[in-house]
Parts: sequence; C-alpha cells; structure tokens
Amino acid sequence: MSPLIFLGRKTLNTLESLGRSAIFLAQALCHLPRLEGARLWLRQMYFVGVMSLPIIAVSGLFIGMVIALQGYLVLSGFGADEALGQMVALSLLRELAPVVTALLFAGRAGSALTAEIGLMKATEQLSSMEMIGVDPLRRVISPRLWAGFLSMPILTVFFSVIGIMGGYLVGVDWLGVDQGSFWGNMQGSVVFMDDVVNGMLKSVVFGVVVTWIAVFQGYDLVPTSEGISRATTRTVVFGSLAVLGLDFILTALMFGEF
Amino acid sequence: MSDSTLVSVENLHFSRAGRPIFSGVDLEIPKGRITAIMGPSGTGKTTLLKLIAGQLMPDSGSVHVGEDNVHRLSRQALFRMRRRMGMLFQSGALFSDLSVFENVAFPIRVHTDLPEHMIRDLVLIKLQAVGLRGARDLMPAELSGGMTRRVALARAIALDPDLIMYDEPFVGQDPISMGVLVTLIRRLNSAFNMTAIVVSHDIKETLSIADHVYVIADGRVMASGSPASLREAQDPRVSQFIQGKPDGPVPFHYPSKNFYEDILAPSEVS
Amino acid sequence: MKRSKWLEAGVGAFVLAGFLGLVFLGLQVSGFAPGQAEQNFTVYANFSNIGGLKERSRVTMAGVTVGRITSIELDPKWLEGRVTMKIDSDVGEKLSEDSTASILTAGLLGEKYIGLSTGGAPEMIKDGGTIRDTQSALVLEELIQQFVSNMSK
Repeated sequence: MSPLIFLGRKTLNTLESLGRSAIFLAQALCHLPRLEGARLWLRQMYFVGVMSLPIIAVSGLFIGMVIALQGYLVLSGFGADEALGQMVALSLLRELAPVVTALLFAGRAGSALTAEIGLMKATEQLSSMEMIGVDPLRRVISPRLWAGFLSMPILTVFFSVIGIMGGYLVGVDWLGVDQGSFWGNMQGSVVFMDDVVNGMLKSVVFGVVVTWIAVFQGYDLVPTSEGISRATTRTVVFGSLAVLGLDFILTALMFGEF
Repeated sequence: MSDSTLVSVENLHFSRAGRPIFSGVDLEIPKGRITAIMGPSGTGKTTLLKLIAGQLMPDSGSVHVGEDNVHRLSRQALFRMRRRMGMLFQSGALFSDLSVFENVAFPIRVHTDLPEHMIRDLVLIKLQAVGLRGARDLMPAELSGGMTRRVALARAIALDPDLIMYDEPFVGQDPISMGVLVTLIRRLNSAFNMTAIVVSHDIKETLSIADHVYVIADGRVMASGSPASLREAQDPRVSQFIQGKPDGPVPFHYPSKNFYEDILAPSEVS
Repeated sequence: MKRSKWLEAGVGAFVLAGFLGLVFLGLQVSGFAPGQAEQNFTVYANFSNIGGLKERSRVTMAGVTVGRITSIELDPKWLEGRVTMKIDSDVGEKLSEDSTASILTAGLLGEKYIGLSTGGAPEMIKDGGTIRDTQSALVLEELIQQFVSNMSK
C-alpha cells in the first residue's frame, strides 16, 4: 500500500469515527430526563464516583505531601518558606487536582465503563435491549455519561482539599512552617473566582471528554475479547492524551495574559 | 401483500465489508404460523432477523412488518414497532446485572405503568410457562445454558408480542432441553397465536415444528415449501442439506486452489 | 431493598462532601467570606507609570487589603496608565476628594500593589470618581540613572 493511500485512509477513518462519536453524544444527551433515568444515574454515580474516592483520596494526600516537601526545600533556600501554603494551594487548585484526577479517572472509571459497555455489546445485551424496544443510548449510555460529568468536579474538589491537608501535614506539623502564615499566605494569594472556579471549569471539561471517550469506545468497539481489550487501552490512552492537551489549551486561555 | 402476511421481505440486498450476504431475497411470513428459515452456517440467517428488526440497514430492497416499512421508520417509531416483536437471541442475552425475575419484568416495567403486584403476576405466569418459576431469584450467571434460553424466552414473550423470532434456539442444547424448547415454541404458537420465525440449521427439530420452510444459500432463497415437500425435493443441493450429507453440490471445502498445487507450492511462511 | 439504600446514602454523602469541600476551598483556602462587604465601589486613578502593576493586584488602605484592580489600560487622552479598582463600599464612602493613590512594592522585589490614603477635604469621592493625587511606581532603573547623573555633576 502506498504511503499516500495509507495516510488518506487513516485520516478518513479518524474523521469518520469523530463524526460518529459526535452523533452518538448528541443522541445520548438529547432527550428529557425522567424519574427512571434518575434512578439509573444514581446507580452509576455510585460506581463511577463513590467507588473512585479511595484512589483519589490517597493520591491527593501523597501529592499534597510531596509538593510541600519539595516546595519547602526550594523556598527555605530563599527564606520564603511561609509562602509554602500559597504554593501548595495554587499548584493543586490550578493544575494538579484537575489533571491528576482526570488521569486517575480515565484509568479507573473510564476503563471500567468501556469494558462494561463492551461486554454488554459482545453478549448482545444492547441488541436485546433494542429488540425490547428500549433505546440503549437512553437506558445504558446516558446515565453513565451524566454520572461521569458530575463525578469529576466533585472528585477534583476532594483531591484539592485532601492535597492541601497533606501539604499542611508535612509543612506545618512536620517541617515547622508557621500555621498562621501557611493559611494567611494561601488566603492572600488564592482568588476564589479565578483559581478555584477555573480549576473546577477544567475538571468539568475533563469530565465530559474522558467519560465521552470511555463510553463511546465501549459502544463502538468490535465485540470480541480482543476488541474489548483494545478499546479499554484506547480509553486510557486517548483519555489521558486529551486531558493533557486540553489542559494546556485551557491554561493558556484562563491564566495566560494575551 | 395479503392480509394473512405479517412480514414481507422484497428483493433484499445486503453486504458486509464489501462481501455480499444477500442478493435479492424475497420472503413472506404468514400470520399465526411457524416459519423456519434454514441454511448452512454463515449464510446470514441471524443477519436476516436483524434486518427484519431494523437493527441493520439493507443496501436495497424493503422489509414490511404489518403496514410499516421498517427501514423508513424514525428511530422512535422503530422502537415502538419493536414492542410488538420478541426476539430470542442465540446467547440468551439476559441483562447480567438483573435477576431472573427482573429480567422478565424489564419489558413490562419500561413499556407499561402497571402496579407492582400485577407485574409480579405477569412475570410469574411467563416464568411458569417456561417452567422456571422457582428460579426467579437467581442471577443469570447462576443459570445453565438451557435455563438461560428459557428465561430469555419468557422475557421475549413478556409483552405478548405479535411476532417472535428465534435465533438458533436449539444450538448447544442437550436433548432434554431441546425437547422442552420444541414443545414451548409449538405451545406458544398454538395457545397465543403468535407468529414465529425460527432460524436454525437443526433439521429434524425445525422440520417437526415448522408450517413453512425457507432454505437460504448463496445469498438467495434456494427452496421453500412445507416440511414434507422439502423432504422430497429433487434439487440436489436441497436434498444434501435436508439429509445432511457431508459433501455434494454444497462443497465441504472453503473455496481454494487445487490441493495438489497448494501442497507443492513453496512455503509462504518465512 | 437494603443495597439500594446504601447506594443512595453513598451517593448522597458523596455529593454533600463534594459541596462541603468546595465551601472549604472557598472559606479556608481563598479567604472568600460571603458576609464581607461587597467590593463594588469603583474608583479610577491615572498614573504616569504603572511599573509592573497587574490586574487582580491588591488595593490596600493602611496595609489592609480593601479591594482589587479590575483593569489597566492606556488613557488615550493623557497617555497615562488608567487603573480601575473595585474596593469595599464602606471604605469607598470614606475616601475624601483629595485622597492619594500610590503604587507600592512589597519588599524589594515583591509584587506591586496600590496603597490608598485619605486626605482632609470635606467632599467625598463618588462611586465611579477619579483619584487625582497619584504617585507612580518607583522604577529602579530611573532611580539609578538619576543617582549616577547627580554624582557626575
């Protein structure tokens, strides 16, 4: 096959699957929610959100502790160790909490969503649902999408709070930074409408993108064992790359001074 | 289309990944009868059911169910039409996160607003019909293959559909559960006057219950008629299939070049 | 159904805790106090050199933060830096007509911010008024240049 044909075919395939995924998202979201939907959503919220809490909490704690430790080593060299709180809070709120939460989410909840939907497709459960006259986009896909969209910001808040606690633990309790200046400097530099809200906006965007990728990969896969394993890998790889790429764009838009 | 026909397929063409599966299939499924669609593996019998149900789009040709042209319906109308259909999948396709009871209750719950005690009665009637009333609290993973298919059958008839399609109902069943299924299919047809399409290549069982048989091969209808007429068919391909001879006009070998040349050819594996 | 109750309670706790976390981020981390006087008193000030002042920089009075800078642009008429700031309204109401605004530096190399001090005039500045008496940023290079040229005289 000539390289030209190869390139053309790849491009067309990519465009085609992008188009399919956009139609898929529109079809899954474009209908009014019903009471029945709320119950299904609740169930998914539990599996996608609540069950992700332990990994988010542990990662947040350790990342907060590490930033405090590294930050202290650098800042104390300038005699500026009271700026530790500011450093921990800003790096968590603006970058680390949304990004790391989204990466962990893609690995834990995203891959599980892909595999679950893929297996439902492989065992003809989606087909038989269609035959019963129930649209799987409504019944299966839509509650999972909403659960992912809503879980991500909440998990990000958790990550930030626990990370800041971890930073406090290391900075104040262990390294002896003054408690007053830790919180004071933090409060002096963190602006709610800018730092906290922008971080949340990032996490909302990441939540939509990662869940969308995960659910679409599950719905669109080739229903064989190899197809499921490939789709799961794709969810994690595409999800992570999308998060990192979008993070740069969003950061440039939010904090860059053009 | 006459009044006694429920499903009519006209000049249906369908291909998958460039390979033609159907090239001009015409079928008529009479109301209230059991129609069997038979043919060797890989002739697209399951695909035909999915085309009738509107899960796949044909390249050309049309499928009518009652008054509806299946592939012209909107997404919503299609889902409404499917409420009048039941389909028994080869794998059963039970919802693995719901119990047997909830699986059978599922179509009733989503399509009706019946109170809980009526749903319970309906589900128990259907489970009684397939002999699994006692298994109502089991999860699908705890069922044997034959039981799974019977639960799936109970679910397919939960809303008393006009048309029920069986996709390879006898594959992988032991003789006892095979007998149970044959009896069930026949009893459902006679008791509830349900139209049935049975897709199968188990000749003996299928011929014993069908009123009318279509044999499909090479993308078109090769023969049709009553079971008795097919048993006496003169067409060598039909008689090979009906009598289960290993080789004949329908080749045993997948198309390939001459065996002698192939064996002597230099190895392609390096 | 016992399991469903657990599930519902779990999700409820999850959402509630997320909300509490957001409150924590608001109150403890960013010092955002909803009870605080709203910063919606706007004043303008023109500086001949803003020297590194940024949007969102602090506005202080007697060292206490009372507001933030919302925008900085070039005044096309006077070719000066025009700074818009929003300050607490109860502070703004006590600013006299002859108040001064000066650009200060936190420490030798720290961030720039605006310090306000009120004067003695009986008239008060109105919302949307302009502070006339301003003191521009100290630019280190200019200071050094002046110092050198004075030395060489």
